[in-house]
Amino acid sequence: MSRFVRIGIVGGLTLMLAGAAAAQTTAPQGGGTPKKGGALQLVVTPEPPGLMLGLTQNGPTQMIASNIYESLLRYDVKLNPMPSLAKSWEISPDQTVYTFKLQDGVTWHDGKPFGADDVVFSLDVFLREVHPRWRQIANNQVKSIEKLDDLTVRITTKQPFGPFMLSQEAASAPIIPKHIYAGTDYRANPANNTPIGTGPMKFAEWRKGSFVKLVRNEAYWDKGRPLLDEMYFQFIPDAASRAVAYETGKVDVLTGGSVEVFDVARLAKLPNTCVTNGGWEMFAPHAWITPNVKNGILGNKQFRQAMMYAIDRDFGRDVIWSGYGKVPTGPISSKTKFYSDQGVTKYTYDPAKAKELVKASGYKGETIRFLSLPYGETWQRWAEAIKQNFDDVGIKMEIVSTDVPGWTQKVSNFDFDLTFNFLYQYGDPAIGVARSYVTSNIVKGNPFGNVGQYSNPEVDKLFAEAAVAPTEKRQDLYTKVQQITADDLPLLWLLEMDFPTVSRCNVKDLVTTSIGVNDSAKNVWKQ
Amino acid sequence: MNLARFLASRLVKGVLVLMAIAIVNFALIRAAPGDPATVMAGEAGAADEAFVQQLRERFGLDRPILEQLGIYLKGVATLDLGFSYRQGRSVASLIADRLPATLLLTGTAFVISLALGMLLGALAARRVGRPADTAITVVALLFYATPLFWIALMSQIVFSLKLGLLPNVGYETIGANLSGGDRALDIAHHLVLPALTLGLFFTALYARMMRASMLEIAGADYVRTARAKGVAPGSLTRRHIARNAILPVVTLAGLQAGQIVGGAVLTETVFAWPGIGRLMFESLAQRDYQVLLGVFFVSSAMVVLFNLATDLTYRFVDPRIQMGA
Amino acid sequence: MTFLARFSRNRGALIGLVILVVIVAAAVAAPLLYPVSPWRMVSRPFLAPLVNDRYPFGTDALGRDVASGLMHGARVSLLIGLVSTAVALAIGVPLGAVAGYVGGLADEAAMRFTELFQTIPSFALAIVIVAILQPSISSIVLAIALVTWPPVARLVRGEVLSLRRRDYVDAAVTLGQRTPRIIMAEILPNTVAPIIVMASLMVASAILLESSLSFLGLGDPNLMTWGYMVGAGRTRLIDAWWISFFPGLAIVLAVLALNLVGEGLSDALNPRLAGDRSR
Repeated sequence: MSRFVRIGIVGGLTLMLAGAAAAQTTAPQGGGTPKKGGALQLVVTPEPPGLMLGLTQNGPTQMIASNIYESLLRYDVKLNPMPSLAKSWEISPDQTVYTFKLQDGVTWHDGKPFGADDVVFSLDVFLREVHPRWRQIANNQVKSIEKLDDLTVRITTKQPFGPFMLSQEAASAPIIPKHIYAGTDYRANPANNTPIGTGPMKFAEWRKGSFVKLVRNEAYWDKGRPLLDEMYFQFIPDAASRAVAYETGKVDVLTGGSVEVFDVARLAKLPNTCVTNGGWEMFAPHAWITPNVKNGILGNKQFRQAMMYAIDRDFGRDVIWSGYGKVPTGPISSKTKFYSDQGVTKYTYDPAKAKELVKASGYKGETIRFLSLPYGETWQRWAEAIKQNFDDVGIKMEIVSTDVPGWTQKVSNFDFDLTFNFLYQYGDPAIGVARSYVTSNIVKGNPFGNVGQYSNPEVDKLFAEAAVAPTEKRQDLYTKVQQITADDLPLLWLLEMDFPTVSRCNVKDLVTTSIGVNDSAKNVWKQ
Repeated sequence: MNLARFLASRLVKGVLVLMAIAIVNFALIRAAPGDPATVMAGEAGAADEAFVQQLRERFGLDRPILEQLGIYLKGVATLDLGFSYRQGRSVASLIADRLPATLLLTGTAFVISLALGMLLGALAARRVGRPADTAITVVALLFYATPLFWIALMSQIVFSLKLGLLPNVGYETIGANLSGGDRALDIAHHLVLPALTLGLFFTALYARMMRASMLEIAGADYVRTARAKGVAPGSLTRRHIARNAILPVVTLAGLQAGQIVGGAVLTETVFAWPGIGRLMFESLAQRDYQVLLGVFFVSSAMVVLFNLATDLTYRFVDPRIQMGA
Repeated sequence: MTFLARFSRNRGALIGLVILVVIVAAAVAAPLLYPVSPWRMVSRPFLAPLVNDRYPFGTDALGRDVASGLMHGARVSLLIGLVSTAVALAIGVPLGAVAGYVGGLADEAAMRFTELFQTIPSFALAIVIVAILQPSISSIVLAIALVTWPPVARLVRGEVLSLRRRDYVDAAVTLGQRTPRIIMAEILPNTVAPIIVMASLMVASAILLESSLSFLGLGDPNLMTWGYMVGAGRTRLIDAWWISFFPGLAIVLAVLALNLVGEGLSDALNPRLAGDRSR
């Protein structure tokens, strides 16, 4: 059903950023002494295809399986690394050698001991083959991954790669058991249906179409954790029914993106209900319209600027997204590192100016096809509103509708004039931002590449330099990129998105890291 | 024609129709844009061409399309519905997980609507033109004309949200760990809203049909004769009219029973009922070809079986009817 | 008794006719009464009905006039109902006629083909067709037609089977008229009555089917239909009931009216009650 709000589909490479946590309406964290016991009921949408995090990394899989599998690191709300399977780490002064000390006394859920062999197998063999994001880092940046002893792993990169420490998040580099997967056909391994990890919760049951049940891992290495006895992830395909399920007490937590934003505003008024925008700092989802600059008038800068002036972005934020999010100034989210609005062209809603620019651009009234994003009602309404905005300034637009595979296919093959998209920034522009703008990423077959086909040698050069420059020089380079692109408009940035999480206030410490409910719930407890 | 020959001929025809359906569905689904590899690459948030190609090879999607069809048909012929690489499970097991919920829902809705529909229809027919008839007819028409999803949403808001009487989603209380009779009661509790929603439309349909059918038969010659002979009205209605009026209703019901197995998509979606209608829709949205084909195949097979059962019922209800093929 | 007299004797049919006339009038008058596009955001969002005289039915989530949507929606919804029924008839009538008249192998083949379409769960098939062709008015019409034609073919076949043994058909054959001409001139005109009755019910179910597809997000994104309005407003049922209530009511009324009229037609044309159909 297209009424699913899907957030699992868009991402990119991994990395981080500093940045203030988004405004929190009501903070569900903190208060009181953590208490053991209880079952937590969450809604996840849509039902994931599988729970083997190494093989499947969509949002719903991650929300469930990051309790089963762990990675070397976790990240706090400022995106600083925290220990997970790695107890400690050392980075060589030239930033090319990373030595990770592993936790001792860790066992897999089947009782077998965990060690450096598992880490090396995961990162060097398994994920290098099957993980679409890790394989790019492993193949392009990593020179070697070695076991020094049973509890020590050394990773050497080919050159200094600033974002490396951000790449060890649970879904980006999950550690999987070597004794189960080595030498097998990974995708057909029957163990995929009964995932075995090291995480705080163990897989118990998957009633297809209804729920996944996880139970406490009594042998968890982090003593005293987890606090919950059981977690149930429920699958409710209809957005309105999900909201009602929360209201009638069937579930405790509506994860970000599982209800339409306008329902959040309504649910927030219920008693014992807390809403937070936190937990998305790592991803910083950035929404925009991609113009296919190879298609006629869309290659004209004045026309792109006309569209930007024509779109009432504040209306989009205030009415369509119920006030959640922030209108962006350029390619880098204000939550991501190296954001700057110094000297950038600012676009306020100005139909008169848009009309002038449309005229100046030589637009002849041709119909522009707008491929809408099939992720639910809100996106649909947004396309309709933008169509009216364009109509006001004389731009003719027709909405083309499709389902998720159709959208992916069309966008991958550049078969569109305009389309919505939103991508995760993963904290660092080198990973989550550059990919949408650089010439080298104009590749068919990848919906997360530079599908608008914008190409500017200067922008290419700046992004390339910034990725490997010393930290203090990066800001200047990225500021320049932001200035050029804000004038050129390779993409029409619409919104820094918020995915509010709705929960009962007696669910404590639900969102404590920069990946929020996408991270393990080992610290969550019920009052 | 004797029963054995009748059954054999119907089964052969049924198998042929099912094979044809398998081919039609295969062709249809392959005409859709995108494939499972595109979807999975999309969900992972990054992809390179080599990765997508690797997936296609793994799924066997790189082979010539006719070869894939051949493999599929061979599988179907041996009742092997294939393997979903996306879900890492055999299609048969995925469908087997979901089928009981669908059968419970549609079966309940079907039995309720058939019984209630025939009762109300007969009642209306007996009181034709009087207030009871008008009331039944109007209500039946209203339910017939109201979109099913609309009734579903309204009933959720009224009975779950406002009155708090019934659960709005799901098959059972998750995490309650009930067993035996308690669990059955719990499931029944969850079944009420979806079964009623799905059943109301069919109740309306059968009531209208039954009423029309009875009125038509009441005018038939043999009923007039019986009436002229002085058969008591009650007996006349029961033995002469109702029994014959049931036939067309049963035929229609038989046809629909099979259809609703695969057609409860809306009800299952709104009420988060874990049945195969949802499985169908979700696998379509993910281009999980094997599962989609499997659901179509199984629900089409249901239709064939139900039609056969209807014909047998017919024969039972009215032995005079000749079993034409 | 004339057809009209028999029809107007049926109170339900008359009520249905009145509702239908109102809906058609709304559809025709829509561009005159509401010249502005129904998609236009004219006021603030979520304006309740009767609060502002200019928007008696309120405004929706984007501040669009619900009344305008209802009027313009009537056009598209009726159009989809009529066109898809026409397409279904265009498939079903010739197929049924040929099957019934020619008989033998052609009949067998046509009926197996029909059975094929009756065996695949129809709503699921409609969903798949729209998803494959991408949602647009033509794919929706095609999908509805493809799942609704089989009963037409069966009906026509049955009628033709019984008509072809009539004396006047034999006479035409004896006179050496060619088969297509006999079917067109002698047989089909006599099947018109039951087809009209069936078609009126088909228009109703097409409107329902379109609304269900819209509910699942498979509507044409550029066309305002009642189904779209219900689908778009349904998630706001609790706090803004009017957005989807009125279009929902419109669907109910339209389907109701078409059914009442269809039944009236059926009664008025029924040979057992009227006895003049053989002409």
